Amino acid sequence: MAKTYDCLFKLLLIGDSGVGKTSILFRFSEDAFNISFISTIGIDFKIRTIDLDGKKVKLQIWDTAGQERFRTITTAYYRGSMGIMLVYDVTNEKSFENIKNWIRNIEENASADVEKMILGNKCDLDAKRQVSKERGEQLAVEYQIKFVETSAKDSLNVEYAFYTLARDIKAKMEKKQEASNPPGGRSGAHQLKANEQQRKPTSWLSRCSVL
Amino acid sequence: MTNATIQEIEGIDDYWGPAFRSVYEGEGGHEAFVQQLDERIQQHDKEIEKLCNFYYQGFIDSIRELLQVRSHAEELHAEISNVDANVKESTESLCTRAEELIRARRVELNIASTIEKMELCLPLLTTYSKLKSQVEAKRYYPALKTLEQLEHVLLPRVGPYKWCAQISADIPRLRQAIQDASMADLRDFLENIRTLSPQVGAMALVQTQDMLGRSLANIVKNKKENPLQSIESSGPQCPHELVDFSPLHRCLHIHTVLGAKNDFVQYYRAQRKQQARLVLIPSSGNLHDSIQSMKSYLNAVLGFFILEEHLLTTGAGLVSKDWLLDTWSMSVTKVASTLRTNTSLITDPTLMLSIKRQIVLFINALKCYGLPTDPLPLLLQEMAEHYTEVLMQRWVGIFRDILDNASFSPIEVKNQEEYDAVMDTFPCDGDEMETQPFPRKFPFSSLVPAVYVQVKEFIYAWLKYSAGLGLGGGRRAAAARHSASLLLSRSFTGCLSALFRRPLPLMQLVQIIVDTQYLEDATSFLYEFISNITGSELVTTQAAGSMFQAARDDAEKQICDNLEKKVDEFLDLENYDWLLVEPSGQASSFVTDMLSYLSGVLTSLEQLPERARVAAVRAATNRIATRLRNLLLDPGVRQVSSGALYQLDLDVIQCEQFAAGEPVPGLREGELLEHFASLRQLLDLITGWDWSSYLHDIGIEGGKYALVTPRDAATLLEKLKEAEQKSSVFSVLKKNERDRRKLLDTVLKQLKQLQNQDG
Repeated sequence: MAKTYDCLFKLLLIGDSGVGKTSILFRFSEDAFNISFISTIGIDFKIRTIDLDGKKVKLQIWDTAGQERFRTITTAYYRGSMGIMLVYDVTNEKSFENIKNWIRNIEENASADVEKMILGNKCDLDAKRQVSKERGEQLAVEYQIKFVETSAKDSLNVEYAFYTLARDIKAKMEKKQEASNPPGGRSGAHQLKANEQQRKPTSWLSRCSVL
Repeated sequence: MTNATIQEIEGIDDYWGPAFRSVYEGEGGHEAFVQQLDERIQQHDKEIEKLCNFYYQGFIDSIRELLQVRSHAEELHAEISNVDANVKESTESLCTRAEELIRARRVELNIASTIEKMELCLPLLTTYSKLKSQVEAKRYYPALKTLEQLEHVLLPRVGPYKWCAQISADIPRLRQAIQDASMADLRDFLENIRTLSPQVGAMALVQTQDMLGRSLANIVKNKKENPLQSIESSGPQCPHELVDFSPLHRCLHIHTVLGAKNDFVQYYRAQRKQQARLVLIPSSGNLHDSIQSMKSYLNAVLGFFILEEHLLTTGAGLVSKDWLLDTWSMSVTKVASTLRTNTSLITDPTLMLSIKRQIVLFINALKCYGLPTDPLPLLLQEMAEHYTEVLMQRWVGIFRDILDNASFSPIEVKNQEEYDAVMDTFPCDGDEMETQPFPRKFPFSSLVPAVYVQVKEFIYAWLKYSAGLGLGGGRRAAAARHSASLLLSRSFTGCLSALFRRPLPLMQLVQIIVDTQYLEDATSFLYEFISNITGSELVTTQAAGSMFQAARDDAEKQICDNLEKKVDEFLDLENYDWLLVEPSGQASSFVTDMLSYLSGVLTSLEQLPERARVAAVRAATNRIATRLRNLLLDPGVRQVSSGALYQLDLDVIQCEQFAAGEPVPGLREGELLEHFASLRQLLDLITGWDWSSYLHDIGIEGGKYALVTPRDAATLLEKLKEAEQKSSVFSVLKKNERDRRKLLDTVLKQLKQLQNQDG
C-alpha cells in the first residue's frame, strides 16, 4: 500500500472541562462549530493531514475529557504525544489558573521533549472576558511556551495554532535527527530501534502486559 | 114632312144619315128644307132674343155686383196681405226659437245618453286606475285580482270602444309586467336570502350551542343572573324569522293566480339549486386560512337549508320533502368533500380544533332541523386522523427542537429544589437517589423529561379533538394510547433516526440508548395519565417494549460505525515496511494506540446495555481483523519479507490478546477471537511453513487451516517469494535455501492447481 503521508504527529488537547477543546478540534478537523456543549467521555481523536513545507504530515489529535473522572484514562495518552495544546477559557478565570496544574501533569506524565502550546479559547466573547491576553502571554513567557488566543466559534487562530505546533515538532525532530544520525536514515525506524534498546523483550505476552 | 126632319135632326145627336136621305128624297126637295131651316133659325133667334131680354137686367146687376165684389176682393186682398206680412213677421222668431229648442232638446238627449254610457265606463276606468296604482305600489296580488275583474266583468259590460280595446290589449301586457315584476321581486328575495342565510345559519348554530350547553344548572344560573333577559329579548326567536318570506309567498300567489304555479315552483327550485351550488363553493377560496371563512361557509350552507326546511314546513308546496332531501344529499356530499379538501391542507391544530367544533355544531344543528348528517361524522373521523397527523408533525418539530438543543448528558441537580423539579416532570424511581448527596445525577438526560412532558402535551392536545364527539372514555383512551404510542414510536423515533443521519459522538449515542429505555419505561405512566384524564379504566395490556427498538438499533449501529471508523482511522496510520529485515519485537504503535483507545472507549460505554456493547466490540474487532487481513493480501503490496510478516504477526497477537481479554462482559468465550481466526490460520501456515498439513487437510472440515483459501495462501506466498528474490538476487544461494525455494515453487504450483479446481 502506498504511504499516504510522510510523518505522523500525535498531538494532545488538555484543559479544564468546557474550555472548548472539542470545539477547537472540531473546527480544525471539520471546519465547523456546534454551539451546544457535549462533554467528551474518556478520549477521542481526529486525524487531519496537513502540508508542511512540502511534507504530508498526518496529525492525530487526541481530545481528552476535561472532567476529573476521566483523568486516569487521559493521562495514559500523555506519553505518546509529541505535542500538547493546553487550552483555557478566557471567560473562565479558574480554567486559566488550572493551566499550571495541567503543566505539572505534563511534566509528570509526558516525555520531557514534548512540544507545548497554550491556547486562550473563546476570545470572541469579549464581554465575558475574565483573563486578559496579557496575563496569558505572561504565563506563556514564564513557562517558555508559545501562546495564542483562539476562537473555535469564529475560526480564529485555530489553524495557526496547530500549524505552529506541528512546525515546531517537525523542526525539533529534524534537529534531533541531524544530531544523532547522519542523513539518509529513516527517523521512524531509528526511533523504534532506540526504543527497542531500552526495553528487553522476552516474549510477546510480557509486552502485552505493558498495555 | 120637313118639320119632322128638323125635329129628327135636333132630336138625334148622331146618326143623321136617314134624316139627310129624307131631305133629298122628300117633296119639295131641299129648298123646302132650307126654308124650313131658315124658319127654324129665325124661330131660335127670336127665342134667343126673348131670352136675352129676359136676363139682361139680371146680367147687368150681376156685373155691377161683380164690380163691387172686385173692389171688395181687392180690399180683402190688401187686408190679407197685411195680415200675411204680420203673421210672417211674428212666426219668423218663433221658428228660430223652435229650431233652437229642437237643437237644445237634441243636445239634452245626447247628454243624457252620454252620461249613461259614461256611468257604465266609470267603474272600468276607476278599476283600471286602481290597477295602475296597485301595480305602481307593487301590490301585485290585488292588482291581479283587479285585472281579473276588469277583464271578465267590467270590460264586456262596456261597449266596443276604442279605448276599451286598448285596455283589453293592455291586460296581457300588464299581466306579463306583473309576472315580471313579481319575478324581479323573487330575484330580490333570492338575493336577499343569499345574504341573510349565513346570518340564519349563524343564529341557528348559536342556538344549537346554547341548547347543547343547556342543563338544569345552567338554566337556573342564567335565570338567576338575568331574570329579565327572556322578557326583554325582542329580536327574532327563530333563525328563519330573520328572513321576510312575504315576497316569496306573494310571488307564489301571483303565479298561482296566473296559473303558472308549477312553472314557478320549478323556477324557484332551479334557482335555489343554483344558489345551493354557489353556496357550496366557498366564497373566500381557501377555507383553511382562517376559522372565519370556515364559519361563514358552514353558516351559509346551514342557513340555506334551514330556510328551505322552513319553507317545507310552512307548506305551499314550494319545497317538497323529496326535493329538499335530494338537494341536501347532493349538498352534504359536496360540503363534506369541500371540507375534506380544505381541512387536509391545514397544519394548524388550533384551527383544526375550532373547525372541528364548528362541524360538530353544524352536525348538531342539522340534526335539530331533521337533515341527515351522513358523511359528516365520517369526515370528522378522517379529520381526527389528519389532526393526529398535524399534531404529530408539530410534535416532530418540537422533538426536533428538543433533540437539537439536547446536551445528551445526564441531568445533574445541585439541590433538592432542582431534584424535585425533575421528579415532578418525570416519573422515575428515585429511591436510590434520595440518599445520595447533592449534586445528584440522574441516569437519563434532560431529553427524557422534556419528551415525556411533550407527549403529555400531545395527549392533551389530541384529546381536545375527541372531546364532544360523543365517544366513550374507554374508546377515547384507547385511541389516545394508540396515538401517543404512535407519536413515540413513529414521530419521535423518526426524529431520532434523523439525528442518526449525521455521525454522532459516542456519548450522545450511549445517552440516547439509555434515554429511550427510560422513555419506554415511562409509557405505563403515560397510560395511567391517559386513563386519568379520560376517566376510563387503566389498560396495561400493550407492552411497548420495543417502541424504540428501531432507534436503539440505529444508535447501536452508529456506535458500531463510529468504532469501525475509528479503527479505520487507526489502520490508515499503518506504516508497515514490507521489506523489514528484522522485526522490532514490539507491536506497531498504531495497534497499541488503537487497542488502548478501544478499551478506554468500551469502559466508558458502561451505561450501555450489554447487547449494544457486545455488538460494538464485535464490530470493532471484526473490522480490525478484516483490515489487517486485507493489508496483508493487498495487491498493491508486491513483496512481503518474513520480517514484515513477523511484525504483522506481532500486531495480530496484540489484537488477539485484546479479544481474548473479554473487553466487555456478555461475550461468548473466545467469540472475538473467531474474527481473527482466518488471519491467524494464514499467518500460522506461512510462518510455520506447514504446507504439508495444509495440502493434506484441504477440503476436510475442521482442518487446522480450514479457513485459508488456496488463493490467499498463494497470494501471500507469491509476495514472500518476491521479497526473497529481491533480497537474494546477487547472493549465491545455499543448498537448504535452494531446497526451500524449490518447495516454495511446488507449493505454489499446487495451490494454483487447487485454485483452478475451485475457480
